[in-house]
Amino acid sequence: MSGLLGRNLRTRLTVLYASLLAGALLLYAVCVSAFFLHNLREQLDSSLDRDLEAVEAILYVNPDGTVQLSSHEGEADEDELDRGYLLEVWSDDGRPLYRSEQLNDQGLGPVPKVAPGQVREPAKSLRLPSGMRVRTMSRIHHLPDSKTVVVRLAISEEPLWEEFWEMVAVLAVGLPIVVILVVITGYLVAARALKPVDSMAKRAAEITADHLHERLTIDNPDDELGQLGIAFNATLARLESSFDQLRRFTADASHELRTPLTAIRSVGEVSLRKPGDENYYRDIIGSMLEETNRLTLLVDSLLTVSRADAGRVQPNLALVDLLELANESAAMVEVLAEEKGQTLRVEGGSSVIVRADRTILRQALVNLIDNAMKYSPINGSILVQVANDQESAVIEVHDSGPGIPPEHRSRIFERFYRVDKARTRAEGGTGLGLSIAQWAVATHSGTIEVQGEPGRGSIFVVRLPRLISTTTPVHTH
Amino acid sequence: MVILIVEDEPKVGNALREGLEAEGYEIVLALTGEEGFFHASSRSFDLIILDVMLPGRDGIEVLNTLRKQGTQTPVLLLTAKDAIEDRVLGLDTGADDYLVKPFAFAELSARIRALLRRNKAEPEGVLAISGLEVDSVRRTVSREGHRIDLTAREFDLLEYLVRNHGRVVSREMLARDLWKETARATPLDNVIDVHVARLRRKLDDPFSAKLLHTVRGVGFTLNEEQS
Repeated sequence: MSGLLGRNLRTRLTVLYASLLAGALLLYAVCVSAFFLHNLREQLDSSLDRDLEAVEAILYVNPDGTVQLSSHEGEADEDELDRGYLLEVWSDDGRPLYRSEQLNDQGLGPVPKVAPGQVREPAKSLRLPSGMRVRTMSRIHHLPDSKTVVVRLAISEEPLWEEFWEMVAVLAVGLPIVVILVVITGYLVAARALKPVDSMAKRAAEITADHLHERLTIDNPDDELGQLGIAFNATLARLESSFDQLRRFTADASHELRTPLTAIRSVGEVSLRKPGDENYYRDIIGSMLEETNRLTLLVDSLLTVSRADAGRVQPNLALVDLLELANESAAMVEVLAEEKGQTLRVEGGSSVIVRADRTILRQALVNLIDNAMKYSPINGSILVQVANDQESAVIEVHDSGPGIPPEHRSRIFERFYRVDKARTRAEGGTGLGLSIAQWAVATHSGTIEVQGEPGRGSIFVVRLPRLISTTTPVHTH
Repeated sequence: MVILIVEDEPKVGNALREGLEAEGYEIVLALTGEEGFFHASSRSFDLIILDVMLPGRDGIEVLNTLRKQGTQTPVLLLTAKDAIEDRVLGLDTGADDYLVKPFAFAELSARIRALLRRNKAEPEGVLAISGLEVDSVRRTVSREGHRIDLTAREFDLLEYLVRNHGRVVSREMLARDLWKETARATPLDNVIDVHVARLRRKLDDPFSAKLLHTVRGVGFTLNEEQS
């Protein structure tokens, strides 16, 4: 198909439109010609009809059956017949009574048959043995003696056909010219219309991973090409942001990995430089192992995150009572709150049920509660609330920390993102806790966001699709 | 007890050999899958430790062939990939347990003991060491005749340490065996530390001889001597 129509869109479009146009014009020409022919014949018929009446007026049939054409003006009638009219007169019993001389005794077709109740036989076209095409019309003529004869008049159709073929010739010459003109203009117009595609393609080819901030220029945002350009630019924007994220992530990850490595290395090197007793070396090795432990935790978390990214975690779904899960998660890390003199409370209704992977969701909750405890002051309080709202099951984790400034809110779920760079590292976090929580919530088609005013604590709000169930809630213990 | 270790990284292999020899096992170390397979089919072992990622013939292949030959020796797989598929593949092929690298040596040592004493029930009743008595049925603890009140979690922790006394227990082992958590995370490590600190206050603070020790960077141990 594409081989036949040419390789590029421009040619294909032109060929397609030109063939459609040629087809339409051909159909038009056929219809016009047929209509024209029909019209010409109607004109001929009506003049034939008039002339037939004129002939009748001068027709005289002798009692012996011979026919005589006469008029008061003498031979004028013969002149009329000279103009190409041919005349036949038939008796009512089918005998030819008169024939024009030009006919050379050849009949104008079979005996005229006038349908009962009619006065004339409809006009007919036929070809005489001489090759001439004629139009004939017959009519019943009443004689004064109440007898009837049939008068048949014929006229040559040749001028009509001549006119018809002339018109066909005009069409046959004119239409191809129109088609050729359309092809040329169409090709030029298509080139103009497709020019933005060319320039977009060139521009897109120039945009590489290093130039993702560049965008296509869009001349007309409302047409199809503009829409294409907008869609392409949106894709570029998404690509740019994920490239940025990846770049930041790689930089942050290598920084996070380098920190414990640096510690191991310097502790090891320094301790080898000075003599020490067994306890000293034990202490040094212990300190190196601590850093190894940190590295292990970090690598484990990175693995969780990357497996989540690759979509390789298959959630194991079951009905989960969120209040029960919140209590369980709080109970697990409760001792940490106690150590800081913080109060950790869980509130909510017992009929908040979602369909979820218990382990994954608990990981999210534990991370959120741990985060809340970390940022709440000594003797502060942490509140976990579980409730249903219109569409979703909602878990809120309130802390009494400093709150998160609005400019950081959209980014705190990014990996390794820290509001206060120095602080969390000192507390031993991996910087991945909230990312993992966000992933865990997203896995359950939920959302997570931060609310609260700076200085008055943060509220992490998790919304999960509510289980719509009219049956008795199933409690899993 | 003779253990075959198939591990292509010499540093790891030698560290494992040294560590396990120190625990009294006899060790044969193979550095490739072929060599390991040769050893495993030419003599009998009490346990095989098999690295999954081996050059040439990988661990799963070796295990497959061994099981097809009818070798019943317990196999502990070491895998660097924390991938569910690998685990399933390993256990389907007939591995008895697996350990994800990097692992703590204490963890490996505990798994080995568990595999070697399989089907042998844990002793029930009163466990006693150095004046400490832990009644695992009535869940009571006393030291030198003084009763010590522990929370349920603290009791589980102490019982676990007593059963492993003299050996180092890592945080991973506690997380898995007591908290039943498969994924390790920072909050849990902190939680474990708090529980151990509290147990230590109740167990050791009133007495001059200390039993519960932290082995820096490794874990905890219950031992009458200073480690």
